[in-house]
Amino acid sequence: MAFDAHGDVSDEALMVLYANGDRHAALALTQRVTPRVLAYAARLLSGDRAEAEDVAQETMLRLWKVAPEWRQGETKVTTWAYRVATNLCIDRQRSRGRRRQMALDDAPEVADAAPGAEGRLQEAGRMAALEAALAELPDRQRQAVVLRHLEGMTNPEIAAIMEIGVEAVESLTARGKRALAAILSGRKAELGYEDDGHAG
Amino acid sequence: MQDDLDDLLAEAARRPVVPSDALMNRVLADALALQPAAPATRRTTAVQSGFLARLAGLFGGPPALAGLGTAAIFGLALGYLNPTTTLDYLTGTSADTAEFFPEADFLTTEG
Repeated sequence: MAFDAHGDVSDEALMVLYANGDRHAALALTQRVTPRVLAYAARLLSGDRAEAEDVAQETMLRLWKVAPEWRQGETKVTTWAYRVATNLCIDRQRSRGRRRQMALDDAPEVADAAPGAEGRLQEAGRMAALEAALAELPDRQRQAVVLRHLEGMTNPEIAAIMEIGVEAVESLTARGKRALAAILSGRKAELGYEDDGHAG
Repeated sequence: MQDDLDDLLAEAARRPVVPSDALMNRVLADALALQPAAPATRRTTAVQSGFLARLAGLFGGPPALAGLGTAAIFGLALGYLNPTTTLDYLTGTSADTAEFFPEADFLTTEG
């Protein structure tokens, strides 16, 4: 991808430029927003890359369509995009009646791995375990945990995306983390963690 | 386990999810296909006007210039005509034949 010629311009201003026919703005928004939406969708969809790409493209498609009516100052572009991606992910999960149940037993074996590859396999195993555990959370808890701990958003930002209050976000995040800890507590050995005596 | 979970989440957050070039190209293609056209800028065509056109413009354009030309021709004719004959003709005191162009015989004389 080419150089982002609008490095100092906000996403919201880029939306206006895009709506005015600025092709560089189209490129800049694509480069800025698409990777974030893709990462978020992939995490919500338990690592299903193909579906995450579909969600990312559909989210961006809706962004382009809404651009002519975009009003600066009302909503951040990323907030809007995360909200749309969230709804698309939920729709996909519901329409397919799926909740990916990736068993921890399917995680890569690390015992017989070569020394050089062991670290990578352990890391892959931990990520697979986390994805599987996230998939077991209720939708709202999973969204809150992913936005807070994987996307690094603040509680007010999450509240805007999920269209709920900040206190509700805090509650969802706390409950989500407790549930994750409970799911993963019996898997320490598989996660590569030593039993340090902490309660789940 | 909470500390381990925090470590695990932090590790996951550090893992980049890199979009493929194919995805980026599809998204950009959508963007360009759906992008509204830039507002049409007013294109002013520079017309090279000639000397005569600029001269006509000084007098109000071709229609005004046509009227000016007609007046000039009439003025020239009135100045050339024999004033006595013209006055007689206009007052009705002229002879049956009026000599408007007494000095123009040379135009019709052969040899």
